[in-house]
Parts: sequence; structure tokens; C-alpha cells
Amino acid sequence: MQPPTGPALASAPESSAGAAPGSQLLRWQWREVQAPCLVAGWILVASLAKIVFQLSRKVTSVVPESCLLILLGLGLGGIVLAIAKRAEYQLEPSLFFLFLLPPIVLDSGYFMPSRLFFDNLGAILTYAVIGTLWNSFTTGAALWGVKQAGLMDKGVEAGLMDFLLFGSLISAVDPVAVLAVFEEVHINETLFIIVFGESLLNDAVTVVLYKVFNSFVEMGPVHVQATDYLKGVASFFVVSLGGAAVGLLFAFLLALITRFTKRVRIIEPLFVFLLAYMAYLAAEMVSLSSILAVTFCGICCKKYVEANISRKSRTTVKYTMKTLASSSETVIFMFLGISAVDTSKWAWDTALVLGTLLFILLFRAVGVILQTWVLNCFRLTPLDRIDQVVMSYGGLRGAVAFALVILLDGAKVRAKDYFVATTIVVVFFTVLVQGLTIKPLVKWLKVKRSDHHKPTLNEELHEHAFDHILAAVEDVVGHHGYRYWRDKWEQFDKRYLSQLLMRKSAYRLKDEIWDVYCKLNIRDAISFVDQGGHVLSASRLTLPSMPRRTSLSESSVTNLLRESGSGACLDLQVIDTVRSRRDKEDAVMHHMLCGSLYKPRRRYKASYSRHFISPSTQERQDKEIFQQNMKRRLETFKSTKHNVCSAKSKARLKKDGRKKQKKSVANTELPNGKPPRSVTWQQKAAAVLVAVDSDNEESDSSETEKEDDEGIIFIARAADEILQGKKASGSLDICPSPRIIPPSPTSAEKDLPWKGDRGDLAVYISSETTKIVPVDMQTAWKQSISSLESVASPPGAEPGPRAKTLAGPAPEEGLKPERQMMPEQRTCFQFPNPLLRSSRPQSDSSLERTEQPELQPLMALDEHGRMSTSAGPSNSRWLIQFNRPARFSDG
Amino acid sequence: MAAWQFLAIHYCFRHHNPEIIFKESFDRIPDLEFNPIRSKIVRAFFDKRNLRQAPNGLADEINFEDFLTIMSYFRPIEMNMDEEQLDHFRKEKLKFLFHMYDSDNDGKISLLEYRKVVEELLSRNPHLEKESARSIADGAMMEAASICVGQMEPDQVYEGITFEDFLKMWQGIDIDTKMHVRFLNMEPIAHCH
Repeated sequence: MQPPTGPALASAPESSAGAAPGSQLLRWQWREVQAPCLVAGWILVASLAKIVFQLSRKVTSVVPESCLLILLGLGLGGIVLAIAKRAEYQLEPSLFFLFLLPPIVLDSGYFMPSRLFFDNLGAILTYAVIGTLWNSFTTGAALWGVKQAGLMDKGVEAGLMDFLLFGSLISAVDPVAVLAVFEEVHINETLFIIVFGESLLNDAVTVVLYKVFNSFVEMGPVHVQATDYLKGVASFFVVSLGGAAVGLLFAFLLALITRFTKRVRIIEPLFVFLLAYMAYLAAEMVSLSSILAVTFCGICCKKYVEANISRKSRTTVKYTMKTLASSSETVIFMFLGISAVDTSKWAWDTALVLGTLLFILLFRAVGVILQTWVLNCFRLTPLDRIDQVVMSYGGLRGAVAFALVILLDGAKVRAKDYFVATTIVVVFFTVLVQGLTIKPLVKWLKVKRSDHHKPTLNEELHEHAFDHILAAVEDVVGHHGYRYWRDKWEQFDKRYLSQLLMRKSAYRLKDEIWDVYCKLNIRDAISFVDQGGHVLSASRLTLPSMPRRTSLSESSVTNLLRESGSGACLDLQVIDTVRSRRDKEDAVMHHMLCGSLYKPRRRYKASYSRHFISPSTQERQDKEIFQQNMKRRLETFKSTKHNVCSAKSKARLKKDGRKKQKKSVANTELPNGKPPRSVTWQQKAAAVLVAVDSDNEESDSSETEKEDDEGIIFIARAADEILQGKKASGSLDICPSPRIIPPSPTSAEKDLPWKGDRGDLAVYISSETTKIVPVDMQTAWKQSISSLESVASPPGAEPGPRAKTLAGPAPEEGLKPERQMMPEQRTCFQFPNPLLRSSRPQSDSSLERTEQPELQPLMALDEHGRMSTSAGPSNSRWLIQFNRPARFSDG
Repeated sequence: MAAWQFLAIHYCFRHHNPEIIFKESFDRIPDLEFNPIRSKIVRAFFDKRNLRQAPNGLADEINFEDFLTIMSYFRPIEMNMDEEQLDHFRKEKLKFLFHMYDSDNDGKISLLEYRKVVEELLSRNPHLEKESARSIADGAMMEAASICVGQMEPDQVYEGITFEDFLKMWQGIDIDTKMHVRFLNMEPIAHCH
């Protein structure tokens, strides 16, 4: 790498002083920007090279990127050498250890699958500690033997200590190289975590051995006393445990800090990087194992940090970390290539090089086999022979070894040049040859690959059940094994640590099963929104709340669930009640008008803040997308629905070629423990219609009002006439008293004063259907609704004033006209609805109104009461109910 | 070593109760107290299906041999098992789990049963309401339906997860690495049968 910026900065004042007193239009300031410019330039070159590599899939599928980068480095180094006549750049150990290595280690620690890591910790530690010790000593001793046998050049002036020193630095498996190669191989997780974990944890051993032997060499072997050996052993424990402790300390601090960053969301990610880096530097400062420190910091803080920081920050952390790690890795490999060109540091000795290559391969294989043999007596899942081959072959050496060998003091270690050359060859051999061949090898041996199935809810549930069962079995037998302690740890964590380190809001909802559930829901929601445009732009229109789309795209059930929910959130279910043909035509008309009339675009305040990301950019996009989608969906839905209805009333044949496939997930959950009918898929629109009808009877007034809010006025009014007919039809017994479920939060809710207090509720849970709406989605929906509203309603009909009129404990009679008036205030399309007035139930009382000044809560209370009193099953999956009772208590 | 483990288990067994275990004796195990699905687990020990005695029903008491039968569900795989054995082995383990879920013995995990399990699993967290557990169970059930039946006919009703479906859901998930207890090297226990 480019030497640090010292000279460039020092020259800055000089050059400015040397400039002529007269003013200059332009000045050449290369010297002042040289260092950072070179750094940026190299990173740019490396990154561009990555793009070029990825252009050809064929090459990258065969050759690992690390190989290509090393080759590129070789080429560039050659060019530089040819131009400048000397090797200009090379990998500086200080830069490598201080700047290039930490991001990679942090990345691997933070994203380490911690469960897997701790499950295999025993094996990992064995390989990392015993394996590395074994490799170092055997390799060093064997090389010394070769030297003694006189096979080496006379120029290699090295004693046993020198060879042991060399052995210690050459035997450590390198995390960077292992990660780079194994990430492309996709072997199964257990194998990967063992090899990779070993490469991370062996750092402590390497550091200790390196330092101990280095000091021995510098002291001279003669002066080494017995106490020094003891000190060496002791320092191993100090370095490794101390490094881990530093990591844990900083992890704790980090978690604690992120607990209080609610108001400074924008710098949340920074804390993660800063504290992790501080951990690295702190460990380095007191010469503990810095890699261990960062690794443990990353592993341990993750759970709490992820729970504390916002979702955007999470994404930021993830991407920044990956970016840093990836660019560091790229630069490292490129500079490895460039450094190799520098022949001035080379001193070739064939016997040494070949001997080293042979020994590291041989002894690693032997070590792995021996250790695995011992481990298999204890392991639950034994590592078979193929695993052992991959493990011994996957022991790649890399930049750490190179940096360490460069760090050697040439005056004390006289064979340094030979060692440098050998290290370079070994690194190149392992990265190029082994890296290239490991993929075919894995294929040929049929190593169990990792299966990349999406996480499923069932899997998570079963796994938790397993954990508990196994812990219970250990309890029953009275054996305090691994599961027992993990169970105990989890309890401790839940009771004390999480409570201390997590935000209250996060802690409350912290549960792994729940997390997976939310994640799946969000993922489905996102994919749904992503593809929403496609589905709708195609002329094959689908019902938003129907699972037909599952045939079009990924048919995940949660997707389906959410879809039905999204329909509900738009109050689409209310549309079901539209029955007559006239209404249908009206509705078509309405939407035509709605679509083609002038829509005032929302204006956004231009605001800029360095400290807060204004919600406008992303959310506005969401809003517009939603607005468009939902409008189209409304139209689609409406028309399809009408067809169903008309078919139902036997007045119409199926006019349209559209399939009316309707799977309704009848939610058969019975609050009072009646036998559920499980998950029902029914095609009959009848049941659904009936359900909605009878619903409508009860919640008529409030629903209409809600619609008024949204400008979808035409809908619910026609319900009652059919209702009577339907009621007689006897299908009501399927769903004797369907529940009125207030549709999704509408814009009205947004204005509610108590709405703001509920920020800590992360998700709204629908108790009736199998669906939750994550808060983000929910706000998006709300926005989409409100934007719909803003399109449909003139500014005069703002919900605010109306809310006021409804707020007081007005007498029933006074209120009703008021409500009926409201549609007429709108400029948008309306329906005459005589039925509505006649059949509006008088369920709402003034008391309710005092409690909830808005329209929505009327239903809520209604619903609340019914919840407690009526035992009726609700089959109508249209009706998504949000956690209204909970809201009550808040209000 | 195996013999030693056998003795250890035997000792533990005697330690809890000589000769016979009743349900109540499980209540006296202090560590079990915090296990959220404790009742299900204890039940599984007395489940005649797991004891291979009868297709249904609960035993009132189990003796040492029964205890070992239950324990044998948790033995680890051995290196020298062939495919068929492995498959059988896997099924046995899954059956144990399945029986735990299927509390009413009808060969299906119905939604209600599933909900109960999830509720119990989540019971450690007092802040998660029952409703969340429900929606999780429902979501899981839907997922199971989609995995097992695929595209469902509109009129089709998914009654519950049968054992075949259960197996299907577990495809690709490595149960062998998960469901066993380290100290149970079951050779001696296998001899008991």
C-alpha cells in the first residue's frame, strides 16, 4: 500500500510557502492530495476490476474472485515495475492490520450465524487452538530437520527458533482467504462454520506464537529460560481470553448505547462501526488478540443492536459493513499480487519452498484427521471422511501470514528474505491452486451443500420445540449438558440482559418466533408491493383480496394472507355489499370519473435536515405507488365483484371471461374454543357475501361514514336489501353472528389524538385473521388511503371539522342527519341511499361518541363489546380486525 | 463408555423414583419448571404411542424400560447406518414430535392443536399476547398447507397436518443433527428391547 500520508502532509505548508506571493488562478497541488488520491485510486481500480470480472459469468463461476484479483495485482505490479523500475507499492503490515483487516473481521463476526457458531464451538476451538499449535510446531520442526539434513541453501541462516517462528506464521489459516473462497463454494453450514471459525479464532494462537518466538529469536536462543516458556503459555491465555473479554466489554457498551439512540437515528450505524473499531484498537493497544476482540464484539452485540436500531439503520449497517469488508478484501488480494512483484525482497530457496508447501499440506491433513478422530467421540454429528478432506484442503493461507512475515526484523531474523519468498509462494499456491480446485473437489466428493431454503415459520417453531424438548430431557435425566446450559443462559438473557440492553419497546416484542413471523410477513409484503405493478399492468386483472395471484407468482401463503389483509385495509370488503346492477354501473362511472378527473398532486414541503432523514423521499414514493396500485385494484376489484354478485343473484350469466376464482380463507377461529374448521378454502361467494351482509346490518352506519372519509362513497349503502333476502336463505347458520371488524385504520384514525401515543406498538395484530400488518406497511396503507382520499375529496371536506362536529356527546337524532349530510358535502360521486337511512341500526350511543371523537372507534367499541359477549364464530375473512381493544386502553 | 452411560441413566432414573415414574414425579424436577412446553413434554413420556404400547391413550405410570424407550428417540445417528435405517430413524424422531403436537390422537395436527403449542412456546414472553401466538400458528398452518397441498382447490379444506405432510415439511431440514441428546449413546438401551 501507499505509505502513510506523512510526507505529503508535511510538504503542504512548504509548497504553499514556496508559491509566488502573487495570486494564481490555478495551482498544481498534487503533493497535497497525493496520498488519499492514491488510496482512492487503488480502491477504484480494484472495484472496477470486480465489475469487469463479473461481466463474464463463465470465468467467475470457475475461478474465485480472489484468484483473479491476485493475478490482476501481479499484472499491475508488473506494469508499475516496468514504468518506475522499482516496486512502488506493497502491502504495508501496519495499514493491513489497522485498516484493512478490521472491516473483514467485523463483518464476519457480526454476520456470523451465532447459533451455529456456539453449537460447534467445541470443534472450532479444538481446531483453532490445538490444530494451529500442532501445525506450527510440526512445520517448524520439520523444516528445521530439512535444514539439518543439509538440503537447504547455505544462505538460509536460521536455527530452530527461526523455523518455529516461520512455522507459527505460515501455519495459521487465514480468515480473509477462507471467506473469499468458501463463500463461493457453498458447502454445508457446519463445515463452513468449522473452517471459518477456526480461521478467526486461531488468531490468538498465531499472535502468541509469533510474538513468543519473535522475542526468542531476538533474545537469541541461548538466553531463553524456562520461565520464558511458561510466560509464553500464560500469555496465550491472557491474549485469547483478554481479547475476547475486550470484545465482550465493547459489545456490552455498544448495545447499551444503541438503547438510547432513539432521537439520533441517523448516527446509529456509526456507533456500531466506531465501537467495534475501538474494540479492535483497544485490544491491539494492549497487545491482545484484536481479531478475537472484534469477532466477539460482533457476535455478541448483534442481537441487541439489531433489536434497538431502526430498520433503516439495520440496512445501513449491513450494507456499509459489506461494502467495507468487500473493498478491503479486494484491496488486500490486489496488493498481495502487487507485492509479489517486488523481487528485491525475494530470496529463493527451492528446498525451503517445496518443503514448506509439502509440510503445511501434510501436517494439516494429519492434524485434521487426528483431531476429528478425537472429536467424533464427542460430537453428535460426526464429521465424516469427506468433511475431513475438505477441511484439510480448505486451510488457505493469506494476507495475515504475508503481513506477519513482512513485519519480521531483517536484522534479527536473517533468513527473512527467504521466508518472505516462501510465504508469498505458499499464499499464492493456496489461494490460486487450492482456491481453484476446491470447487471441483467439493463437487466431485459430493460434499453436502448448503440448502438455501427460505426460512419457514414451521421450521422455526419446530426448532424451538426441539430446544425445549431436549432441555427437558436433559433435565429429566439430570444431566447438565450443553442444552441445559443454553436453556439457562437464555433464561438469564431474557430476564436480565435483554431487559438491560434493549429498548422497552423492542424487548417487549422480542421473540425469535415472532421475529421470524414478522420478517416473513414483511418480506411477503415487500415482494407483493414489488410485483404489484406487474400484476396490475398486465391486462389479466386479479382481485386484490383473492389468492389467485398465487398462481401467477410465488405462492406463499403469507403472501396470500397479507393480500386478503390489504384488501381489508382498504375497506374493500365493504364493496362486497354492492349488489345491484345499477350500483355496478354507478361504481364504474365513479371510478372512471375518479380516474380521469383532475387530481391535485400533493405538495411536499421542501425540507432539509442533516440529522434526520425526511420521510418525504421514500415514503412519498411508497405513497404514490400505493396510490396507483390501490386505485387500479379498486377498479378491478369492484368490477369482478360485481360479476360475482350478479351471478349470484341469478340475473346474470358470466359475462366476463374472467375467472372468478375465489379462495377465501375462511377464518375459522372460534374465540370460545369451538372446534375450528381449520383453514377453509371456499369458492362460494355466498358465504362471504352473507357474512358481509349481516355485518353490514350491524355496522352499517359506521361503515358508511368511514367510506365517506375515503371517498368511496358508493358502496355500502345498497347492502340491506339483499341482506334481508340473504338472511332467509339459511346460509347464515354458517356464520350466525359474524363479527364486525373495523377495516384497517383509515385516514380518520390518523387524526385521532391518541393515535400518536401508540408509537411503541410495533405491529398491529389482527386477532381474527391470520395476519399481522407490520407498522411500516400499515403506515404505507394509511398513506395510500389518505392519498386516495385527497384525490377524491375536495379540501373543504377535511376530516378535521367533521370530527369536531361528531366529537361532542350529541344526541342520536342530531348526529344522524349530520352524518347523512356528509356525502353531500363531497364533490365526488355519491349514491342516493334511501335504504341506508331506513335500516341503520341504532347501535351507537352517545357514550361511545364521547370516548372516541371519530367515526372509526364507534365500531371499535361495538366490536369490543361483541368480543366479550358474543360467542359467534366469524367466518368472514374479509374483515380484518385490528387490535382495537388494546387501543382502547391506550385511549 | 456406553455401559457407563447406561448406568448413569439408570442411576438418574432410580434417583427420581424407584421402579416406576408417575406423572407427579416430573413435577418435582425443578429445572423443568421453566420449560414453556413442559406439560406437552411430560405428556409425551406417558403417551402410549410413544411407548409403542397402544395406538392411543396415556399410561398412568412408566417403568424403566418405558423410560428407555422414550429416551431412545433421542439417540444420535451412528456412522454405520445405511439409508434405510437412517430414514426409519428419522421418521421415529419426527413421530415423537408429531405425537406431541397431535394431542387428540386423530393423526392430524389441527389448527387448534397447533395454536396451543405455539401459545405454550411463546408463553415465556409475557408481552406477546395470545393473539400473536394465534396469528403465528395460523400463519404456520397456512404455510404448511401451501407446502403440503400446494395449490389448493377453492373448495378444499385443509383439515390439519397429517404425518405425511409433517414429513414433507421436514424435507431438507436436518433433523438428525438436531434432535438428539449428547449423552445418550443408545447401544445398551437398544439391547434392552
